[in-house]
Amino acid sequence: MKIDNSLPLEYSTGQNQINILGFWIFLGAEIMLFGTLFAAYFTLVNRTGSGPSGADIFEIAPVLIETFVLLTSSFTIGLAIHAMRLGKKKAMLAFFGITLLLGLGFLSVEIFEFNHFYHVGAGLQTSAFTAILLTTLGTHGAHVTFGLFWGLSIVLQVRKRGLTPETANKSFIFSLYWHFLDVVWIFIFSFIYMKGLM
Amino acid sequence: MSELFPFKQVMGFVFSLILTAVALMVYFLDMPFTTGMTVLLITAFIQAALQLVVFMHAGETGDRGSIYTNLYYAIFIALATVFGTLLTMIWGYI
Repeated sequence: MKIDNSLPLEYSTGQNQINILGFWIFLGAEIMLFGTLFAAYFTLVNRTGSGPSGADIFEIAPVLIETFVLLTSSFTIGLAIHAMRLGKKKAMLAFFGITLLLGLGFLSVEIFEFNHFYHVGAGLQTSAFTAILLTTLGTHGAHVTFGLFWGLSIVLQVRKRGLTPETANKSFIFSLYWHFLDVVWIFIFSFIYMKGLM
Repeated sequence: MSELFPFKQVMGFVFSLILTAVALMVYFLDMPFTTGMTVLLITAFIQAALQLVVFMHAGETGDRGSIYTNLYYAIFIALATVFGTLLTMIWGYI
C-alpha cells in the first residue's frame, strides 16, 4: 500500500481516494432517489381526499427544532473531520459523539411528530397526500437512523484502532453522508413544511 | 481550542442559520405564494451549495472534476424528474 503523506490521512492511499469518489457517485444516486420522492410529493400534495392537508397538520415548533438540531449536527461533524486532520483523536471523537447525540435528538422529535400526525388522523393510508408525505419524511428518517448506527460503529473503530488511513477514510465518508442528509432536510424543510405552512 | 473551530466552517454555520431564518420569514411574514416560493428556492439552493463546498470539501482533490461532473449529472436528473413530472401531471392540465 502506497501512502502519500502530503495528503490528509483519508486521501492518503489510492484505495482511499477511489472510496471517496465512489461514495460521491452513491450520493448522486441518492439525489435522484429523493428527486423522485419530491416529484411524487408535488404531484400528490393536493390529493387529500377526506383527510387533512399539510396546513392542517404541520406545526412550526417541532420543525424548527429538527432544522436547528440537524444544521448544528452538520456543523459538528465538519468540526470532527477538521479535528481529525489535525490528528486530535479526542476532540474528533467528542465532536462525533455530539453529532450522533444531535442525530438522536432529531430522530426523537421526528418520532414525536409522526405520533402527532397519527393522532390527528394523518396515517400512512389516509390519503395520497399523507402516504407520500410519510414516505418522503420516513425515507429521510430511515437514513438518519442508519447513520446513527454507522456513526457509532465508526466511533468504536477509531477508539480501538486509532487514526489510520482506513478509519480516517471511513470517518470522512460518514461525514459526507451526514452532510448529505442535512442537504435533503433543507429541501424537506423548504418545499414540504414551509410551502405547506405558507 | 480555537484551532478546533476553523473560521471558514464557523462562518458557514452562521450563514446557514441566516439562510434558515430568511426561509422562515416566508412563514412569519405571510408572504404571497409566488414571492414565498422564490425566496425558498433561492435559500434552499444556496444552502445546499454551501454544505457541498464548505463542509463536504467537494473541490478539494484531484478528483474534483469527476465529483462535480457526477453531482451536476445527478442534480440534472433530479430536476428533470421533478419538473418533468410537474409538467406532465399538474401543469399540463391547468
